[in-house]
Amino acid sequence: MATREVISTGNELAAIAAVDAGCKFFGGYPLTPSSEVMHEISDLLPKVGGVAIQMEDEIAGICCVIGAAMAGDRALTATSGPGMSLKAENLGLAQMAEVPLVCVNVMRGGPSTGLPTRVSQGDIKQASNPSHGDYRSITLCAGSLAECYTETVRAFNLADRFMQPVIVLLDETIGHMHGKADLPTVEDVKTGIVPRKTFDGPAEEYFPYECGPTEAATLNPMFTGYRYHFTGLHHDKNGFPTEEIETCRKLIQRLEDKVMAHQDEIESNEEFMLDDMTGEEGEVLIIAYGSVSLAAKESIRHLRAQGIKAGLFRPITIWPSPADRIKHFTDKIKNVLVVELNIRQYTEEIERASGRLDLEGLYKVNGRAISPHEIVSKVKEVF
Amino acid sequence: MAASPMVNPGDKPVWVNTDNCKACDICVSVCPSGVLGMKYESTSTLGAMISIDHPEACIGCNECELTCPDFAIFVADTKEYKAAGFSFAKLTDEAKERQAAIVANNYMSLSEQGVK
Amino acid sequence: MAFNYDKYLRLEKMPTLWCWGCGDGVILKAFVRAIEKMGVSQDDVCVVSGIGCSGRFSSYVDFNTVHTTHGRTVAYATGIKLSRPDKLVVCVGGDGDALAIGGNHTIHACRRNIDMTFIIINNFIYGLTNSQTSPTTPKGMWTVSQKAGNIDPTFDTCDLAIASGASFVGRESMLDPKKLEKLFIKAMEHKGFSCLDVLSNCHINLGRKNKMVSAMENLEWIDSITMPKKKYDALSEEEQLNLLPTGILKQDTEADEYCDMYAEIQKAQQGLRKPISQDDFAKKI
Repeated sequence: MATREVISTGNELAAIAAVDAGCKFFGGYPLTPSSEVMHEISDLLPKVGGVAIQMEDEIAGICCVIGAAMAGDRALTATSGPGMSLKAENLGLAQMAEVPLVCVNVMRGGPSTGLPTRVSQGDIKQASNPSHGDYRSITLCAGSLAECYTETVRAFNLADRFMQPVIVLLDETIGHMHGKADLPTVEDVKTGIVPRKTFDGPAEEYFPYECGPTEAATLNPMFTGYRYHFTGLHHDKNGFPTEEIETCRKLIQRLEDKVMAHQDEIESNEEFMLDDMTGEEGEVLIIAYGSVSLAAKESIRHLRAQGIKAGLFRPITIWPSPADRIKHFTDKIKNVLVVELNIRQYTEEIERASGRLDLEGLYKVNGRAISPHEIVSKVKEVF
Repeated sequence: MAASPMVNPGDKPVWVNTDNCKACDICVSVCPSGVLGMKYESTSTLGAMISIDHPEACIGCNECELTCPDFAIFVADTKEYKAAGFSFAKLTDEAKERQAAIVANNYMSLSEQGVK
Repeated sequence: MAFNYDKYLRLEKMPTLWCWGCGDGVILKAFVRAIEKMGVSQDDVCVVSGIGCSGRFSSYVDFNTVHTTHGRTVAYATGIKLSRPDKLVVCVGGDGDALAIGGNHTIHACRRNIDMTFIIINNFIYGLTNSQTSPTTPKGMWTVSQKAGNIDPTFDTCDLAIASGASFVGRESMLDPKKLEKLFIKAMEHKGFSCLDVLSNCHINLGRKNKMVSAMENLEWIDSITMPKKKYDALSEEEQLNLLPTGILKQDTEADEYCDMYAEIQKAQQGLRKPISQDDFAKKI
């Protein structure tokens, strides 16, 4: 595939990706370290006839995005940890009403005000269930500058495919990192756009929320002759509120199954230098994601140069987790080191997937990045 | 399929859809002409149901239709009604007195006892 | 036959879940009559509602409808309107929805003067959740969250809207559906943010423990606290103390409307005009 070289920051690349992927609406609020996404996209969108608005708070930011998506536009918001917490209730409505949108979270030190200008990966658990109730989050995590672009593009297509919010995790390091990225061409991105399904038949035969048990709703854009109802309440095939027992049960089960039955369409991993791992004594499996994976890859080069056979398993789709693939490697390789900028948030999921409780971990929560040297030292210390 | 309850079932100046009536008394209270009253009805909300007691006194002011929260009472369209050869009544003193009596009777029809 | 309400109602949802005599139904009726009189196609109308009894409004009408989270009605509507600025967007919320949890969004929608109509159905209480104090509950009344009497001062919805910058502000009650219908038409035809305080009765919650047990008593109370603007303006301050003026309280047809202004931004970014500057505005601060 042809590529083009662009020099930019992670935040700006996310904004550019959204516009290239057909996003026509942005709503948000300034929040360090995500604000540059808003700055960039509020410049770009009006040029292509789109709308970007800085709302009065984070909650209004997500609400207007959901509104625009209901009207039929691809819509984006961007925030950080505190903003995700504020947006939680309405992200839940988007899940329940099956409204597609992309929410970029540039993670920073938390909890609460935390460290506004410093890095962490502390919102991993939150991303799996930011809002109350039962549903399945789709969360992607960019592990390079280029992925700030490509994962945002993929997020829009996934959002339209599964009719729900998709969270794209960046972090302060990668959001503010400035450098070269090899990106797909705008043409390839445009050809790859898969918009939401729509119904073309007579309006009397249109039931937006009537679909198979592992399918997403088919929500026609507003004002196109198909009138129906959006609500956060449990609802029937027309979207009208109901408390009928079977209807309610089926709806919630479908919100779960529409994602879990199609994980193959969502899963994405990088298996870095794992091809030659056979499971013999001394091999080291590192599991890391996001900006930490950049340090992990560098550390693997150092380890191998020192005779230690190491490799990286990097989930790009964080939720739903690539449980089977994780288990494939943790079954094979004895020494496993999880590296994350939080306290065991993804480790607990890896433990669940692998069935192992003997994983080593390198956890850092002081707002600074992890260096390749720290990872090398840790590997030597524990294995 | 049955005609919508909104369609005039005969050539009436005013008619009701008792399926929707919740016996709130508002239409009875706004009628200037003593056309309406509530009757006891043990199977309905609040044990009462709207009754059109004096359709001949209906002046077509539309107040009952406009103030009904539940799409339960309808008044004939003036033009259509006239074109069909009918006309609404004029407001008389007798009608006004009857209305006052209905209000004093707790909005119940005068043939009913006014304690709900 | 009578007015064709069937066209505008989701008949399978009737009768409404609102209590007997609830003003919400009267307001709903006035609203669909207004839409009919304006001649707008149902496909071009979006009704967005919040949480509460008034929030159920949107599920009964056959338009493009949205039932949002508590207080966020105008925020959702802002996104819908900005995406489709040529469509008619109407928000419906209660006094709690619009003035308590949603207060901030109401203020900013007024400030932006974005072209939509906000029907605030003010029944002076939180009705659906059974009688908690709202920002308009009269002082001294009994509520479940203030059983020894409400000490919270009240908002004047219209004063708030005017101060926040709405270009059309009006108030009516469901006592006079004809006036209400006319106000709706004027508000929806107005280009800019139309904020309406529509007084309604909740005899089941507010009224029952506050000496207004029946719908009629509650309506009489509303009648006693409202007065048409002209008459109201002629009263002394003391006489005005416990009255709310009704009618159109503000109408500014010259105010910049947000979608129009954003279209100018789009033109500027596309090189079709120079960027907006301070010189474009008389009132700059």
